[in-house]
Amino acid sequence: MVTREEIENIALLSKLFVAEEELDGLTKEMDQMIAFADTINQATDAGEEFDNINGLQNAFREDEVVPSYPQSEILKNRDGGVDGFFYVAKHK
Amino acid sequence: MSWELVSGLETHVELSTNTKIFCGCTTKFGGEPNTNCCPICIGLPGTLPKLNRQVVHYAIMAGLATHCTINNVSKMDRKNYVYPDLPKAYQISQYDKPLCEHGYIQLDNGRKIGITRIHIEEDAGKLVHEHGDTFVDYNRGGVPLIEIVSEPDIRSIAEAREYVEKLQMIMKHIGVSDCKMQEGSLRCDVNISVRPEGSNEFGTRTEIKNMNSFTNMEKAMAYEYDRQIDLLESGGKVTQETLRWNPDEGITTPMRGKEDAHDYRYFREPDLVTIYTTDEEIEAIRQELPELPDARIARYESDFGLPEADAQLLVKYRKIAEYFEAAGEGLANKKTVANFILGQIFRTLVTDEEKENGAVAIPPEYLHDLAKLLEDGKIKMNLAKTTLDKMLETGKPCTDFISEQDMGDIDEDTLRTICQSVVDNNPKAVADFKGGKDKAVKALIGQVMKQTRGKADGRKAEAMMVDMMNDME
Repeated sequence: MVTREEIENIALLSKLFVAEEELDGLTKEMDQMIAFADTINQATDAGEEFDNINGLQNAFREDEVVPSYPQSEILKNRDGGVDGFFYVAKHK
Repeated sequence: MSWELVSGLETHVELSTNTKIFCGCTTKFGGEPNTNCCPICIGLPGTLPKLNRQVVHYAIMAGLATHCTINNVSKMDRKNYVYPDLPKAYQISQYDKPLCEHGYIQLDNGRKIGITRIHIEEDAGKLVHEHGDTFVDYNRGGVPLIEIVSEPDIRSIAEAREYVEKLQMIMKHIGVSDCKMQEGSLRCDVNISVRPEGSNEFGTRTEIKNMNSFTNMEKAMAYEYDRQIDLLESGGKVTQETLRWNPDEGITTPMRGKEDAHDYRYFREPDLVTIYTTDEEIEAIRQELPELPDARIARYESDFGLPEADAQLLVKYRKIAEYFEAAGEGLANKKTVANFILGQIFRTLVTDEEKENGAVAIPPEYLHDLAKLLEDGKIKMNLAKTTLDKMLETGKPCTDFISEQDMGDIDEDTLRTICQSVVDNNPKAVADFKGGKDKAVKALIGQVMKQTRGKADGRKAEAMMVDMMNDME
């Protein structure tokens, strides 16, 4: 069972504001999601173990530099900030 | 009651790859803010990470060099936390299947400091705080790190320092990192607790984050050791918390409140596949490793007869060690070469960085040629020393300063004649000597050296002149 306290804690860790009146609804929804995952856990004859559905392993990239994006592109969506830096908005 | 310090370190080492861990942006230090970035390393939605092969390779090298077991199967995980230096709100790291485990570093006192694990992960961006505002530069975001976690085996501040120095030396030697603490490419988190001497139980520990110099690390540990003892002796309890070292005030302060208690909700990184490494691949990497510092030091001591301290100084800087070996190649007496390097040559390499870069003014072959003349008895030490100074000043080979006439011994008769004339022409020094000032003979030897351009055998000249003076009335 998911509890209200767990929802409050998750909200805190995610830095999300959850109003008091939303808590019960969210708790119920989260509980349903977890219950669904539990259904999967009930499967006992999953067959051969695999860790990637595509059978991929060791997908590597070579250590070769590719040009980065122009600073203006990187900063395009920033809100505030000076001298090429992003700005960290303050909590209201 | 006397208290024992118990400490374990988490050391972050930036790897010397060309590119970041999950994208092709350069890892170059410095540069205008947010210029070494792309959608992957600033965490834009819809991008996919791709693991840099060299990161895995370097991490395995680091593991092998610290006696770790390399896991054949390893995977990446997400470590979730919300902080502005981490654009995805999770760091891709390794949780339960790190690349390397169960290694150690051996200290000079013989104690082994266990290494729990070495895993690979991405670095975060850099926050700049100014006038109450916070700004972010993501150039460092995504730079590959290895985190080397030690067991709580460290028992003193000196051991902590030596452990980090050894790690630093090994990582530099095998070339996986430049380990520059001042540039943040090596930083430590220090876990520290105290317990009554003789106890086997651990006390409650605190963690001091982000030590970026040896001085700060030592001061912070000393402060925290005293603080915990004071707390316990006055009947208090140590709270398990994360601390920040404030170098200006010389104190540690709690970093985060309780509401931010660790809960990283690790889970497997779904965008990256499993890393498999075969035993053959691991062996191939082992073969590639250069001789490790401790082995090199031991070899210099046993094969070349160098004193331990000298061997350590040479090996401390990999390029200096290589220079020494190149210069000493084929010579019977490597000690002379070592002395030239640690004496006259080191005086021209003032900073650590210069030694690090092995920026000697002359190539090792030049030093070799000079040492060879000395070894073959063609020149004397005095001449060798003055010549070396000239070589270091000009970058020219010894043949530019030593002529044929300088080489070879002075025959006994010539030396006797020169000695006699020096004695005859320096009545004051002779009188001083006869008056009991043994040192006066040194001035006379200096004269002989000058006249023979350093060719004379100083000891022979001294013996001759002492005889001459004693024979005088």
